[in-house]
Amino acid sequence: MDQFKIFLLPVVGLVFGIIILMLLVFTLNSIPIFQHEGVAIYTTNIWKASEVSEEEFYGILSAIYGTIYTSTIAITISLPISIGLAVFVADLMPRRLKELLIIPTDIMAGLPTILYGIWGVFVLVPTLAEIMKFIHGHFSFIPLFSYYNPTGFSYLSAGVLLAIMVTPFATSLIREAYVAIPNIYREAVYSLGLTRFEATKVLLSYIKPAIIAGTLLAFGRAVGETVAVSLVIGNAFNIDASLFAPGYTISSLIANQFGNAFAYKLMPSALFSAGLALFTIGLIVNIAGLIVLKRWGYA
Amino acid sequence: MLRELKNKVFVIYLILSAFLVILPLFHILFSVFANGIPVLLKYGLAFLTETLPAPNRGGGIFPAIYGTFMMVFLASLMGIPLAVLAGIFVAEYPNNALSRATRSLLLIMLEFPTILVGLFVMAILVMPIGSFSALAGAFALMIVMLPYVATYTEQAMRSVPAQYKEGAYALGLRKVRVVFSITLKIAKKGVITGLLIGMAKVSGETAPLIFTAGNAWRSTGGVLEPVGAIPLWIYYLVQQPYTNYHEIAWGAALVLMLFFLAVFLPIRLSMVRT
Repeated sequence: MDQFKIFLLPVVGLVFGIIILMLLVFTLNSIPIFQHEGVAIYTTNIWKASEVSEEEFYGILSAIYGTIYTSTIAITISLPISIGLAVFVADLMPRRLKELLIIPTDIMAGLPTILYGIWGVFVLVPTLAEIMKFIHGHFSFIPLFSYYNPTGFSYLSAGVLLAIMVTPFATSLIREAYVAIPNIYREAVYSLGLTRFEATKVLLSYIKPAIIAGTLLAFGRAVGETVAVSLVIGNAFNIDASLFAPGYTISSLIANQFGNAFAYKLMPSALFSAGLALFTIGLIVNIAGLIVLKRWGYA
Repeated sequence: MLRELKNKVFVIYLILSAFLVILPLFHILFSVFANGIPVLLKYGLAFLTETLPAPNRGGGIFPAIYGTFMMVFLASLMGIPLAVLAGIFVAEYPNNALSRATRSLLLIMLEFPTILVGLFVMAILVMPIGSFSALAGAFALMIVMLPYVATYTEQAMRSVPAQYKEGAYALGLRKVRVVFSITLKIAKKGVITGLLIGMAKVSGETAPLIFTAGNAWRSTGGVLEPVGAIPLWIYYLVQQPYTNYHEIAWGAALVLMLFFLAVFLPIRLSMVRT
């Protein structure tokens, strides 16, 4: 081993150390709440803060539910559009003009998330509220649209905003895989006399792993997003099937409740255990996405 | 006939999806300009130099600008050497288990929920010290910045043709000299791109600062005191009921967006040319 490598090792150790310390901090700080109520922290929807620590009881099920619900909405909206844009840029745009669409999506991917947040509060939510009132007025018998008197601050608004935020990321991943398909395959497909639709269907099946990875990583991003979501989701301890109902996500719960958590004995620990759940979900989704990418040689 | 029709519908779907992606971006840019420019004109230059007003008065966002610059500077000071060295390690010793693990770790860190970084730093810095501080905010931003700078450094170092390195070794230079005087010099542009992207990214981060920087509306404190930040201000101001606070939030959003575009666009456009 050369000296230079020995000199660099502590630096790499430090990077690993930060992550390990992080996991340790979340685990250790979660212990008091686990001792107090066990797994009920993850399986019940109760939020009882109290000056008397014996009466405190916290369950973050509504936040876990909201996180998965909003991220699923986001992916459902984002995936078809991401694939559509990827194919559009790769196949339909003239080579010189491709950048005209790629640069805006790159800007979107890097734009500070708080800008999505302020736009979400003042533009998206009021617009969606009108649409929601209309749909609720006519179709409230369908459970998805059943929430009484929608204000706009809801799972749907958070889901739509997240879809807008994760699409640039998903589409660039899918596009890169799509343009990397060897030309002989394209030529072969078109030589069969297939239409563009039929040919694209075949070609897309060839990059299925990239699409799966894109979906997983986009889901991971949606799960971790905090400020934009917490501004539009309504922040209510709610488990409701309706798209129009307000709710919580794990990250918005943490952002919202930590300010007053230290007035109570167990609330900080409850929020650290919420962080631990987010940590685990994020880690599993992202590692799964990276494994799919690696196995198929995209990363 | 049916095949033709399906194909037509498909092409329309492709065009529509392009439209659906681009539309929100332009609407966001448009909204920030349309709401931000009148605010900047109304408040004038004081918007950049004064502190937060009482409700329904004129004022500015200076403490936020001060805090953002200070924390991004401190984060860069701590994070850049660390990130560049980590990137060098992964690029120079690509074929061992530790390097592969480090590369995976950096990719995971890129996607990691930033609110957890904030919570973590609160536990290890804010709680022991007993107060929010610019230092804690900067430390959180450093962790967020690290994977960006490291991955860009790695890619830039790897793109340097092997001949240059071989030539340097043939002259009898030691590895340290080769890395710092030859490879890093040639890879300079890519590394600097990484630094700028990392700095632009963290200057817009909100979540890592909520429990670390603390926020300050009227004071511009030192390293160990709470400070404001532009994204943090926007986050709090939009939740206030006062109209002038909403105005200030839009103005601050415009400042933040212009700052981001000023760093990001030249970098991105220079990539097109090469």
